Amino acid sequence: MELYDILFWVLSAIAVSCALGVILSRNPVNSVLFLILTFFAISGHYVLMNAQFLAIVNIIVYAGAIMVLFLFVIMLMNLNADVEPQKGQLVQLAGVISGGILFLVVLASIKTAKAEIMDKTSTDIGLISNLGKVLFKEYVLPFEISSVLFLSAMIGAIVIGKKEEVKTSATAKMEHVSE
Amino acid sequence: MKAIIATTVFGVIMMFAGLWVNDKKSIAGLATFLFAALLGVTIWDLTTTSVNSPKSLFNDMLRSEHYSLWFNTIMTGCSLLYVLLMGKEVQKVGKYVSEYFALIFFILCGLYLLSMYNNLLMMFIGIEILSIPQYILAGSDKRNLKSSEASLKYFLMGAFSTGILLMGITLLYGAARTFNITEMVTLMHSDALNPLALAGILFIMIAFSFKVSAAPMHMWTPDVYDGSPTVFTAFMATVVKSAAFFAFLRLFQVSFNSLSEHWVMVLAIITAATLLVGNVTAVFQQSVKRMLAYSSIAQAGFMLFAVLAVNAVAWQGIIIYAVAYSVATIGIFAVLVKLKDYTYDGFNGLAQREPLLAFVTTIFLFSLAGIPLTGGFMAKYYVLLAVVQQGQLMWLVIFALLMAAISVYYYFRVIIAMYFKAGTPEISSPVTGGDKFMLVVTCALVILLGVLPQLFLTKV
Repeated sequence: MELYDILFWVLSAIAVSCALGVILSRNPVNSVLFLILTFFAISGHYVLMNAQFLAIVNIIVYAGAIMVLFLFVIMLMNLNADVEPQKGQLVQLAGVISGGILFLVVLASIKTAKAEIMDKTSTDIGLISNLGKVLFKEYVLPFEISSVLFLSAMIGAIVIGKKEEVKTSATAKMEHVSE
Repeated sequence: MKAIIATTVFGVIMMFAGLWVNDKKSIAGLATFLFAALLGVTIWDLTTTSVNSPKSLFNDMLRSEHYSLWFNTIMTGCSLLYVLLMGKEVQKVGKYVSEYFALIFFILCGLYLLSMYNNLLMMFIGIEILSIPQYILAGSDKRNLKSSEASLKYFLMGAFSTGILLMGITLLYGAARTFNITEMVTLMHSDALNPLALAGILFIMIAFSFKVSAAPMHMWTPDVYDGSPTVFTAFMATVVKSAAFFAFLRLFQVSFNSLSEHWVMVLAIITAATLLVGNVTAVFQQSVKRMLAYSSIAQAGFMLFAVLAVNAVAWQGIIIYAVAYSVATIGIFAVLVKLKDYTYDGFNGLAQREPLLAFVTTIFLFSLAGIPLTGGFMAKYYVLLAVVQQGQLMWLVIFALLMAAISVYYYFRVIIAMYFKAGTPEISSPVTGGDKFMLVVTCALVILLGVLPQLFLTKV
């Protein structure tokens, strides 16, 4: 067993157990902390695949920015007690059965799939210069067109987030005139 | 490609218009003009592309086949019709009128991507560009609690289905090792089928069923369509839904055609469930707006027929269904926004007060029910023809005809209320001559579709 394999298995064990922790823990704050740990373990996997840039971005953006924001929101909403609503027995049973069936299907497909071992020496696609070249050559269209997506998300922040003025009599009169 | 650039630029222009133009009416006028210009650009795109050689763009990210461009043109036409009929009502939703129009332009950008994508990455971005503006439009009426609920519900469910879609794409990539949907065909054909691909197809099917509101994944539809401002419901239920269907058909027709024996049965059951749930639940609704939400589920069941039939008629079917359904539904919503009371009783006696409104509504409802000489009949004919030609799912065709008969009941309830019940319907905004003219034009389109459907299929 090489060092690579040992690292892979350790990281995988951390990732899977922390992911289970996210959904099994009752306290939302614990869930978020487990999710951050999962992101760290996945970043470790990226490093093993020689994709250092992706690993760093994953930590900075997801673990650093987004999850910390999450944590703030949860703490502000004061959800730390287990206040999640309880579902009825029948709903729980239906959920367990359908989820279990889906799990079985995916498990069966992965078990019979032809797993191919990745050649870990030749992948330098994750290095930052190669990533930049790929992003601006082959994937330039999706890269550029995501700007439309972000633009509409920003409009959303303004339309939904900004306070709408209460209708004063003056504006109401103006609208009446314009109609 | 020109259309994608144009709609993005127009969206940005609308955003800046909000900065400098304060008058809501001129903003709506500008938007109408830009939609007309966009229609011109899509026609330009269409005429400059030859019928037989699809152009591959940006390393095969997009492929501009002729039927895709034709679909773009028709859907842009429907959007123009939508703005002409309801531009006035958009002004009443809230303060940010120019932003609403900008979002509609961005939705059209997503639509163009979804009709032309040749890469799963583009499909994903297209679906997101299509969805995110919708979450915002659903919640744009901030004073209404139901609108906020609709927005939040749609956003959470939509995010969840996006996760499922991504999982499916990942599994598919693991099996085929490419995102390119045409290359994928040969790779999945070549050796023994990789089970990962089947799991991926299943996940993608579930995600798309959510986007088009097919039966087990339809729970969000009535609440979202009912809660959103009526003008935006009209757009969501028509143009956006057609775009999602086109993307659904494109992926399953181009990539998974050879694997159809594995997934057709699953989709057939989804279709049957959609038809059953949509039609039977619509019967029990008291509000016309909510009935139209369930009717849109039922119509989705018919559109799924095009996806089920993996043959050439399916393309014609989806295009004619998309345009017939969109035009008739936009027409009904245009009448609905004029009324104060959305229940069936709100329509009582409309024929006496506004005979023209009642008449065009009758034609639109005929079309949705699939009465001959209207667009809806030809649309149903084409999608059912596609499945009959495929030849395996005759039981489903018979079941669909039965369900279409049920749909006549709830569509005709509105007609009965308008013509045979006494009452004084309250009109929220005056019906001007321009409104009447546009409604008559829409009505003429519906009948034209029913009489000469070939006119809309020449380019397929």
